Amino acid sequence: MLIPLIQNETLKIIRRKRFAVVIAILFVILALVTYSQYRRLREQQNRNWRAEIQQRVANFQNMMRRGRLNESYARGLRAEAGRLQFYLDHDIEPDKPTGPLFVRGFANASGWLLPLLVAMFGADIVSAENAEGTDKLLLTRPVRRWKILTAKLLTLFMFATLTLICGAVIAYAISSPFLPSGGWNAPTFVGFQLSGNSVSLDSVRQLPLWKDTMIAYGLQWYALLAVAAIALLLSVLFKSSAAAIGTMLASLIGGTILTRISPDWTAGKYLFVSALPLADYYTGQPPPYDGMSMLFCISLLGAWAIVATTISYAVFTRRDVFG
Amino acid sequence: MTELTPTLTASNLTKTIGHKTIVDSVSFELQQGEIFGFLGPNGAGKTTTIRMLVGLIRPTAGSVRICGYDIQQNFEDAMRCVGCIVENPDLYRFMTGRENLEHFARMLRVSNSEIERVADAVSLAHRLEQRVGTYSLGMRQRLGIAQALLGNPKLLILDEPANGLDPAGIREIRELLRRLAGEQQMSIFISSHLLAEIELTCDRVAIIHKGRILREGSVRDLISSRRDMELRVDDVPRASVIARERNLTFRTDGDRIWLAMEEADAPPLLSALAEAGVKIFHAQRRAQSLEEMFLEATGGETVD
Ligand SMILES: Nc1ncnc2c1ncn2[C@@H]1O[C@H](COP(=O)(O)OP(=O)(O)OP(=O)(O)O)[C@@H](O)[C@H]1O
Ligand SMILES: [Mg+2]
Repeated sequence: MLIPLIQNETLKIIRRKRFAVVIAILFVILALVTYSQYRRLREQQNRNWRAEIQQRVANFQNMMRRGRLNESYARGLRAEAGRLQFYLDHDIEPDKPTGPLFVRGFANASGWLLPLLVAMFGADIVSAENAEGTDKLLLTRPVRRWKILTAKLLTLFMFATLTLICGAVIAYAISSPFLPSGGWNAPTFVGFQLSGNSVSLDSVRQLPLWKDTMIAYGLQWYALLAVAAIALLLSVLFKSSAAAIGTMLASLIGGTILTRISPDWTAGKYLFVSALPLADYYTGQPPPYDGMSMLFCISLLGAWAIVATTISYAVFTRRDVFG
Repeated sequence: MTELTPTLTASNLTKTIGHKTIVDSVSFELQQGEIFGFLGPNGAGKTTTIRMLVGLIRPTAGSVRICGYDIQQNFEDAMRCVGCIVENPDLYRFMTGRENLEHFARMLRVSNSEIERVADAVSLAHRLEQRVGTYSLGMRQRLGIAQALLGNPKLLILDEPANGLDPAGIREIRELLRRLAGEQQMSIFISSHLLAEIELTCDRVAIIHKGRILREGSVRDLISSRRDMELRVDDVPRASVIARERNLTFRTDGDRIWLAMEEADAPPLLSALAEAGVKIFHAQRRAQSLEEMFLEATGGETVD
């Protein structure tokens, strides 16, 4: 029943060249990052990684001793220092520039990039029809409005998924000529937790890299679906695509700045942007506010997505369509 | 013989936005095979009425039935009987004509062979592979009509279909519409602000002004029979006296006088004028303009 409608929506996204632009952006960014990784690899042919990591940990500790740091920044430093110390203690080199680690790193690095890209085609999926006047035809065919919106939402989910997969595939493909491409089974450690002033290692577990990567991507995927649902709402509410995309960008960037500069405004933890970098929190970066467990973040994103979708349906199926 | 359900019934359609009533208790019916004209000046409420007919906006009061289905309760069944253009023929400019038709064919679940049929009907087959963004307004109007014809609907609703078409195109589309109404018993609803267009295309017409239907009737009664006699004479006051004696409605302007009358009344009037010594330089029967009809219908209130 919905298949032909999804086919239509897919065709429209492709013909609007939205997806092509997204892939191009991913390609350019990943190529640049790969190049920098490659240079690092070349420069450090016979480096002493232990010394390097020790130096970094020492730097972090100095910064914290000198004090006068923003609380959320200090927490980040503390967590990272604890994580690096753990790798030193176990004699495992973290952050080695390899293809698989590069792919794994993309799950985190893309925490902000991918939501922006998803917002790019999400925010105009309804508003563009309105702006171009095509909704008058779309909504006067023998198909109920809720079905049309459902097709649009599913198509958006599909493209959000595809964007993430393409990101991972491009990251691997682009890095494989330059970085060592093996190492999917390398051990990684997850579960670092900040308790008070020290990093707790009680719940640290070892995982093969591929498994760790799957989890990080799974979380990122979940976050992207939530972003897609919110983008759909903006697209329904705004008549112009530019306004919808602009609002999405503003809330992503503004929300992030807000959580960084005023960590004592604790209501900020209910913003969806606070919970968005799920993969970062999974890796060990502390969330900006206390009490933001992984479960809390996942539920919060889910709640935002459900509320946004409910409003989208309520508005879209009822509203008057004027020119 | 089966009982005839009207293809389209609008009862007491009303739309109020804020305190402004844009469409006010509009009712009409369309029978099978009938072409119905909706005639009114800019801002009369034609497009708003059409938006209510096809479910784009919810009437403040009143209801619409298409092929017996209420569009609020049975939207899908009702809309399966309709093809429409609302306001402008806006299609996806970034896709080709064919992709646009395929898009809507998929929603209707009609086969792709339909596409060739409707494209031929509006003579657009040769441009189907080009992007709609490259089309002229007339071509987009044709594509819009083709799209409306997909799936052979029982009812066609076209908002100002003559927009953007050249005279030959207008004639071609008019012939197509008459053929569809005649051969396939399609009911067609056309809105327009052009009196001549409605007169040539439609069987029945409703005249809408400021959201209200002022008159409704056959094109013959409402438009064709209402012709003025325009005279240019040397002595307008004298001619006026004679017209008044004969109980004719008239108005004057400079050396001209316009009289509303039936064709049969013309020869006696002309003789009477000649006998009275009024010199007639020019005499012509001409259709009332839309504006004049409104003047008559509203009793002097001007069209703004
Ligand atoms: N969304 C709206 N809000 C308020 N007023 C509106 C809205 N849409 C239309 N109107 C008003 O309703 C009136 C009727 O508009 P409508 O578009 O139905 O006219 P129309 O008969 O189609 O005119 P045209 O020949 O110019 O197409 C106009 O005065 C217009 O200003
Ligand atoms: Mg109009």
